[in-house]
Amino acid sequence: MDIIIFAIVSLTLMALLFGGILGYAAKRLKVEGDPIVDQINALLPQTQCGQCGHPGCRPYAEAIAQQADPINLCPPGGETTIKALADLLDVEVLSLDAEAGVDSVPKIAYIREDECIGCTKCIQACPVDAILGAAKLMHTVIVNECTGCDLCVEPCPVDCIDMLPIPITSQTWHWQKPQQLIATDRQLEQEIVGDPSL
Amino acid sequence: MKTLFDFPGGVHPPQHKQQSNPGKLMDLPLPQRLLIPLSQHIGAPAKPLVKVGDQVYKGQLIALATGAISANVHATSSGLVSAIASFPVAHASGLDAMCIELETDGQDTWHPDITTANPGQLDEQEIRQRVLAAGIVGMGGAGFPSAAKLATDTPIHTLLVNGVECEPYITADDTVMQIYSHEIILGTKLALGLLKQSTCKLVIEDNKPQAIAAMLQASAGHDDIEVIVIPTKYPSGGEKQLIQNVTGQQVPRGKIPANLGILCQNVATMKAIYDAVYLGQPSIERIITVTGDGVKQAGNYRLRIGTCADYVLQQCQAEQPNSQVIIGGPMMGFQLPNTHVPLIKTSNCLLVPSAKALSDASPAMACIRCGQCEIACPAQLLPQQLYWLAKSDAFDKIEQYNLMDCIECGACAYVCPSQIPLVQHYRYAKGMLRQKATEARQAELSKQRFEAREQRLLDEVTAKEERRKTRAAAAAAAQAAKRASNTEQADPVKAAQARLAAKQKTPAHDTAHQATLANNSATNEVSHKDLKTAAAIARTKFKKANKAYEDAKAADHEDTDKLQTMVHDLQQRSEQTAQALAEFESQVQVDPEAEKQAQITWAKANAQVRKLNKSAPDSSTPDDEKAAHKEALQVAQKNLEQAQAKLDHIKNSSKEAQS
Repeated sequence: MDIIIFAIVSLTLMALLFGGILGYAAKRLKVEGDPIVDQINALLPQTQCGQCGHPGCRPYAEAIAQQADPINLCPPGGETTIKALADLLDVEVLSLDAEAGVDSVPKIAYIREDECIGCTKCIQACPVDAILGAAKLMHTVIVNECTGCDLCVEPCPVDCIDMLPIPITSQTWHWQKPQQLIATDRQLEQEIVGDPSL
Repeated sequence: MKTLFDFPGGVHPPQHKQQSNPGKLMDLPLPQRLLIPLSQHIGAPAKPLVKVGDQVYKGQLIALATGAISANVHATSSGLVSAIASFPVAHASGLDAMCIELETDGQDTWHPDITTANPGQLDEQEIRQRVLAAGIVGMGGAGFPSAAKLATDTPIHTLLVNGVECEPYITADDTVMQIYSHEIILGTKLALGLLKQSTCKLVIEDNKPQAIAAMLQASAGHDDIEVIVIPTKYPSGGEKQLIQNVTGQQVPRGKIPANLGILCQNVATMKAIYDAVYLGQPSIERIITVTGDGVKQAGNYRLRIGTCADYVLQQCQAEQPNSQVIIGGPMMGFQLPNTHVPLIKTSNCLLVPSAKALSDASPAMACIRCGQCEIACPAQLLPQQLYWLAKSDAFDKIEQYNLMDCIECGACAYVCPSQIPLVQHYRYAKGMLRQKATEARQAELSKQRFEAREQRLLDEVTAKEERRKTRAAAAAAAQAAKRASNTEQADPVKAAQARLAAKQKTPAHDTAHQATLANNSATNEVSHKDLKTAAAIARTKFKKANKAYEDAKAADHEDTDKLQTMVHDLQQRSEQTAQALAEFESQVQVDPEAEKQAQITWAKANAQVRKLNKSAPDSSTPDDEKAAHKEALQVAQKNLEQAQAKLDHIKNSSKEAQS
């Protein structure tokens, strides 16, 4: 009988002790904010283009964190971003949502400066303040700061903004992945193309 | 002889050095066209100083260095500038770059400013200036501007002059050492002078006995220059491997040799420093090895910077001038996408393999994890692991495997039994890592700018709201103040109540009769008026209702009964008010007709008097007329007085009656 009482008392004391430690730790080591949102935001390309339907990358990150939106709504990030998000959140990799847009080559806005009428509409539309100009004066895009988000094209009343692909220079060029064919690949290739001898 | 250290890994490929006759220097006729790129170095491209159509002379500065890490570009012969435009250059991408094109005039006239100098008479600053102005860059291949390298702030204790030339086939440095040994020593002495407190180690591989002999002879008597011979092993000429081999120290990751107090320079660079300081000649030519089984006249050629590769191949009788050509050595060089490209300050070799050698290249096979590459790697990396990771685009992981420490020497690919192009995979992965780093930087910048903008917009909205609130508060305060001052003046309701109270009291106050008389009369007048108005309103209402009732009756409307009672009520009310008015009038004995008559009489008399006063006679009028006028005026005034008296009497009597 004694041993049962002893067991109950000692277990109760231990439960109280550990409960106290846990409670203190929960208070003392409390993490401020929602770090998962920051982690998701860090994976997004920060073009702030709004193609996902949110007014910027952070709001989309918040929506993903609340599981309100799927991870495949970001065309500028493309497959790489979807993969990274799937890794982070431990969910299935989805293909890019066609409604949000298509995964395209990175582009940059250029203003045809002699056609610009200086209406400042594109300046107001730019999410990263990458357009320089003033009312009734010519505007221009700060190329290094443009994210290629497309948002300035639509408000332009004279259609003088072009989205041009970023040119490859000898500074930005890098080697492509080598095409490697091993014996089985060659067989496969022949099957697809068809053997000319046949 | 000092103890040598070793470096891990390395390979021993066939040398093929005799093919290009080291030690024999040849010249080619001056080409008609020279294509001089503006960027032949690491750093910012130079800025052109000439225009199309300008006459330039050999050694003339045609493009100026921009920024700290950049190099001047000079005309390499005399002639006319025929174009400043983008041309394909010797780059693996085959991309274009800005070049200055010269049509040579064949005179090869030196620019008059090129003057020789005695370095003994130059101070350190002048020597530095000469090296800087000459546009010398590292001629071993990296192309780092030498003036910037020699201007290092960190103290340097050892200058390593690199004459190793470990790549097979290439003998350009060997030739430079054999022919220009004294110039190299003099150039090295200049560099030592600039670095101070430093000794020189001139390192040569043991497969160049003539060069070693020449350098030993030239350096005799110079205590601060030691010639060190190292065993032949590829890639002992790599900067990090050379340092490890000679000093036993490893350059830490992310650091440069200067952090260890060591500086590396190529032997050809030392010769260029000699040319710049002693002869005043800028960097306009270099020695290039043209070799390979595909070329008949293999050898070392002194070529002007900007000579095109296809011209050299043609002059050296290459089998197929437009065939595949490798620029640089067989281990680290790359195939030129286009042979019509200029040779630059860093080009040391043109390798033309035979058609047979190219066709022998067999395709890659699967990696069998043999580990040969790991043994060969001089950087102690895990090449097969890097290969798998690069192949599967696992860039995060490949960075953890220190891909960025790979020097792309090609030793792993050389030993690979499966002939996998390993270095190409590493170059691809490195490019992707750099691209990702750039993207991450851009994303961070965009994020900051986006957040700054959001904050700014939010601040604007808050400030606007704040201003609106202050304005609203100010308006409310003004209104409250106004209301407060108004209450003291007059509340119409209270005033009316006060008047009523006064009216009720007045009959009892006989003593205050005189004082209240005026007040009373006003009240009475108001009451009289009110009664009149009330009677008129009641009358009109009754008439209207009656008319509506008649109309409704005519139209057989349902609610006529209701209307009838209403009309009846209104009729009664109208009669009541009319009666009240009549009673009031009889009570105050007002005879409205008499009063009106008296007023009219008074007004007529008044008008007569005013008329006569207006037409008062002046001095020119005859006396009789004056008299007549005076009489008339007197009559009129009498009439007015009478009328006034009568009116006053009527008014007074009515007032007395009321009170």
